[in-house]
Amino acid sequence: MNVIIVGAGNLGSSLARKLSDQGHRITVIEKDPKAVSLLPRGRVDSGAMTIIHRDGATGAGMLEAGISDADVFIAATGKDSLNGLAAQRAKLIFRVENVMTVVRDEGARTLYDSLGISTINKADLASDELVNMLTEEA
Amino acid sequence: MYLVIVGGGKVGAPLASALINEGHEVFVLDNDAEVVANLQRELGMIATIGEAASVRALQDAGAARAGALIAVTDSDEDNLAACQLARTNFDVPRTIAIANSPENAELFDLAGVDLAVSATDLVLANLATALPAHPLIKLMPLADRSLELVAIKLPAAGTAIGRTLSEITLPYGSKIVLMITSEGHSKDPDSDPPIEAEDQIIALSPANSTAELWDLLTELR
Repeated sequence: MNVIIVGAGNLGSSLARKLSDQGHRITVIEKDPKAVSLLPRGRVDSGAMTIIHRDGATGAGMLEAGISDADVFIAATGKDSLNGLAAQRAKLIFRVENVMTVVRDEGARTLYDSLGISTINKADLASDELVNMLTEEA
Repeated sequence: MYLVIVGGGKVGAPLASALINEGHEVFVLDNDAEVVANLQRELGMIATIGEAASVRALQDAGAARAGALIAVTDSDEDNLAACQLARTNFDVPRTIAIANSPENAELFDLAGVDLAVSATDLVLANLATALPAHPLIKLMPLADRSLELVAIKLPAAGTAIGRTLSEITLPYGSKIVLMITSEGHSKDPDSDPPIEAEDQIIALSPANSTAELWDLLTELR
């Protein structure tokens, strides 16, 4: 599957690594060129993983990351509201089938559930449940 | 009406003041302690420190009894989240947000914000008022932005001057709703009055025909 991940922090990088291990094609959008040290260098150098330095919440950034061919879009920056906006753009404007967003504020989960956007928290990631969920849905 | 304003900065502070003067009960949420202190000094205890997009902060601001929430921070993602959380978690009946980036105005519409105001459109509208060379003012988007209400000022040397409305074939779907003379008097378009120099035309126009309508009404002799 083609997977786009916005944000190369702890969560984003960890997701990128796990999904890449399973053979998925990963594109990471990270605004800050200095903030990609957690991504597996070898995968990037070999071309198995792509990094785009753009604002991943904008249409232009998403298009450059190949959103029209994306099967999965995951918003994993450190800011809930930015994740929410990016996820909704992917879903409502670019019509990506499977959209997920990292949400730290538990109270915000109802909102994204109602929009058909799956929510992820740190616990999901630690338990590998998310990676399994993705694989099953595919 | 009880109104929650999210963002007490350059837009939010004067907005709060204006709405209080209109008799509304207003509460402002801002994440900057200095902004909140300024508001409290000027307007009383009507502001608190809190993150725009936090359910807890919206609760503290009394979102549950708000008649509307107006999100005017300089962060589009916070404006969107504040509106959506107000709706899903607190049943706020009406949400209004500024989209600082023009592409987000469309997203806000799709995402269920009741009124998305594009900051770029606002600046352009003000610019159009200030600069006679840009006599097209987009007053309001309607029907999911498929229609818009526009004001067009007619140049004195235009081909339309001296004719009547019925002599001009408007683009399909366009309708002139009001004409205003340079002295500020209104003319009823249905009475087919003559078009005079410097008249302002208020029209309802399909968004993709506005440029054509403008061309037609401002064409120079």
